[in-house]
Amino acid sequence: MAYLDIKNVVKRYEGHTALAGVSMEVPEGCIYGLLGPNGAGKSTLIRIINRIIAADEGTVTLNGKKMTDNDITHIGYLPEERGLYKKMKVGDQIVYLGRLKGLTKADAVASMHWWLDRFILKEWENKKVEELSKGMQQKVQFIGTVIHRPPLLIFDEPFSGFDPVNAEQLKVEILALRDQGSTILFSTHNMASVEEVCQQITLLNHAQVVLTGSVEEVKQQHKKNIIAVQTPDKIEPNAAMFTLLPPDPVKKADTRIKLAAGVQVRDAISWLNEHYHLTGFTEVLPSMNEIFIETVKSKNTTEQ
Amino acid sequence: MNKLRLIIAREYMSIVGRKSFIIMTLLFPFLMIALGSIPVVMAYLNDKGDQTQQIAVIDETGHYAAALPNDNKFNFVAIKGDTVTNAREFYDKANGSISAVIIIPRDVDSTGVVNIYSEGTIIPALESTIKSALTDTIESAHLAAMGIPNLQQIVEKAHVNIDIHAIKWSDTGDEEESSTGIAIFLGIALSVIIFWFVFFSGTMIMNNVVEEKTNRIVEVVVSSCRPFHLMMGKIIGVGLSVLTQMAIWIVLLGIAGTIGGSLLGMTGAVPGADMMGAGATVTPEVESEFSSFMRQALAINYTPIIINFLLYFVEGYLLYCAIFAALGSAVDQASDTSQLLTPVMLLMFFAFYAAMGCAENPDGPMAFWCSIIPFTSPTVMMVRLPFDVPLWQIILSHVLLIITALGIVWLAARIYRRGILSYGKKASFKDLFNWLK
Repeated sequence: MAYLDIKNVVKRYEGHTALAGVSMEVPEGCIYGLLGPNGAGKSTLIRIINRIIAADEGTVTLNGKKMTDNDITHIGYLPEERGLYKKMKVGDQIVYLGRLKGLTKADAVASMHWWLDRFILKEWENKKVEELSKGMQQKVQFIGTVIHRPPLLIFDEPFSGFDPVNAEQLKVEILALRDQGSTILFSTHNMASVEEVCQQITLLNHAQVVLTGSVEEVKQQHKKNIIAVQTPDKIEPNAAMFTLLPPDPVKKADTRIKLAAGVQVRDAISWLNEHYHLTGFTEVLPSMNEIFIETVKSKNTTEQ
Repeated sequence: MNKLRLIIAREYMSIVGRKSFIIMTLLFPFLMIALGSIPVVMAYLNDKGDQTQQIAVIDETGHYAAALPNDNKFNFVAIKGDTVTNAREFYDKANGSISAVIIIPRDVDSTGVVNIYSEGTIIPALESTIKSALTDTIESAHLAAMGIPNLQQIVEKAHVNIDIHAIKWSDTGDEEESSTGIAIFLGIALSVIIFWFVFFSGTMIMNNVVEEKTNRIVEVVVSSCRPFHLMMGKIIGVGLSVLTQMAIWIVLLGIAGTIGGSLLGMTGAVPGADMMGAGATVTPEVESEFSSFMRQALAINYTPIIINFLLYFVEGYLLYCAIFAALGSAVDQASDTSQLLTPVMLLMFFAFYAAMGCAENPDGPMAFWCSIIPFTSPTVMMVRLPFDVPLWQIILSHVLLIITALGIVWLAARIYRRGILSYGKKASFKDLFNWLK
C-alpha cells in the first residue's frame, strides 16, 4: 500500500488541461522524484496534493485514507518560488509557519530553536528576514517547511539558490529526514540530484505520466546495450556481434561498442577477451538526463 | 478558527509593530494641533513682531482723519497738503520713515473712494482698518446730515439679525429645540470617518495582498490554511490595527483637549465646558449662545446614531475591503492595480459625494434611495440619521447591506483564491469573471 496514492487525477483550466488522468504511487519512507519539463503539470499536481487547489476528477489517498483539509498538517511544502515575510523576524516567522501547521506555541518555539542551532543561525533569530543573505533565507525557508516534522515532505527544486556547500548540507538533512521515516516527494529539473537521492521517479509530460518506476528499472529499460571497454589494443568491428561507436568525449581512452541485437553482454565480453587484451569493461547505462531528454523529445515528436 | 486567529494576530502585529505606525500614531495628534495653531501663532507674531508703521494722512475734507484709530500696528499722522504730487514729495522726503500715504479726497462722501500710496506692498490689515473706520464714520455723518433727530438709534433698531430656533415636535407632544446645523455637521463627520477609514484600510489591504503575492509567501501560507482564512484574517487584522490607531488618537486628542481647555480656561479667553459657572469673564451673550449650542447638541439622541454608526462601519468596511482584497490578488505588482481600481474608486467617491449632497436634503428621494442601496448606504444613511429616519428604512438598509457584503465577501474569496496563485499576466475584468465560476 502506497503512502501517497494518486489515482486518475484530472485538472482542467479554461482552454487547457493541466493534468489528464495522472496516477502515482509513492511508497512510505522513500525519496520520490517527480520530473517533467516546464508546463508538464508538476506544480498543479503538487498544489492538488497540498490541497491548495482541488482536482476536477480522481482521488488523493494519504496513508490509506482519502485526504481531507486536516491532512495538510501532515505535509511540509517547499515551493519552487521561495517567499518569506521580509519584515518579520526570523524566529517569529518560523514559529508562525509552524503554528499554522498546527503546532502549539511552545512546541513551535522549541522546534525553531533546535533547527536554528542545527543550521548555525541562532544569532539571527531576532533579525528581520530582509537582513539575511539569500542562502540564509533559503535555510530559514527550509526550517519553516520541516518545523512540524511532517511525515510527507514536498520539495519543489530544493537545491536551486544554494551554493554547493549549502546544497550538500541540505542533501544531508533531506536524507536524514528520510531515514527518520519521512516520505519525500521531490520535484526537480536537476537530473544529477535525482540519480543521487531518488529511489523512484515519475516523469510527466503534457499532463500525462510518460515514465514511472525505480531509478534502476528505468535505466535498465532505456539502456542501449553499450559497453565501454578498456584495452591497449585496437578493436576491429565485428558486424555479427557489435559495432564500434565514436569515443565518449569525456572518457576518450575507452572504446565504446554497441552490441548487435540478441547478443548478451557476457558473450561479447568473452569473445573480446579471447581476441584482445582487456583491462576492464563497464556496461554503459544512460544517465537520467539522457532518459529525460529522450523521453520528452520522442513524446513530443509522436504528437506532432 | 485557530488559524484565523493566528493570521489576524500576525497581520495586526505586522502593522502595529512597524516603526512608521508607532511614529505616525504618536505624532499625528501633535501635527493636527500644530496645524490648527498656525493661524493663532501667525497672528501673534504679526502683532508682536512688527514695528508700528507710520502712516501719513492727507485729509482734504479736514474732518475724517481723526476717525482713524492709532494702535500698536499703525500710527496715523495727519499732514497738510492738497495734491498728489505733494504726497509723493512728502513720501520721498520722509526717506522710509513712513510706510504709506493716505489721501481722503474732498468728495469722499459721494464717491466713497480713498487712495493709499506706497512704494511697498499695502498690507490687508491696513486696508481693513481704514475701511471699517471710515465706513462707520462717514455713515454716521450721512445720517447726521439728514437732520432727523435720533436717526442713528432708529436705524440701529431697524437692524435685525435673524436667528433661527428649530423646534421639533416629538411624538409625545413635547417641544425640543434642535439644531439642523449640528445635525448636519454630525452626520457629515460620521460619514467622512466611515469613508476615510474604509478607503485607507482598503488600500492597505490591497497592497498587503500584492506584497504577499510578489513575496511568494502566499503559496506557503495557503498550503497551511484556506485562502479564505488568509483573506479574512487580513481584512480583520488591518481593520483592528486602524481601529487601534484611531483609539489612540482619540485618547491623545482628549488629553490634549483637556489640558488645552484648562489652560485657556485659566486665562478666561474661551468659554470651556468647565467654565459655565465662572460667568465673570464670559460675556452674557457668549454664554447664552454657548449654552443654547450645548442644549441643542444634547437634544440629539445619540444612542441610535452610535449603534448605527458601528453597524454601518463594520458592514461597509467588509463590503469594500473584500473588493480591495480581490483586486490585490489579481495583479503582480501594486502599480498594476490602477485599471481594476478605477470603478471601485468611482463607486466610493460617488458614495462620498452622494452623502455630502444628501446633507442638503436628507429627506429627499436621492437621499432615500442612496441610503437603501448597499454601496452608498453606509455613508448616506449616516448623514440622514440625525434627522430621524423611519425604523423600517434603517432595518431594510442594514439587511440589504449585510446580504450584499456577505455576497461580495463570498465572490471576493473566489477571485482571491485563484488570483493569488496566478502570475505573469495582468488579469482583466474578464479573467476575474471567469475566476468566479
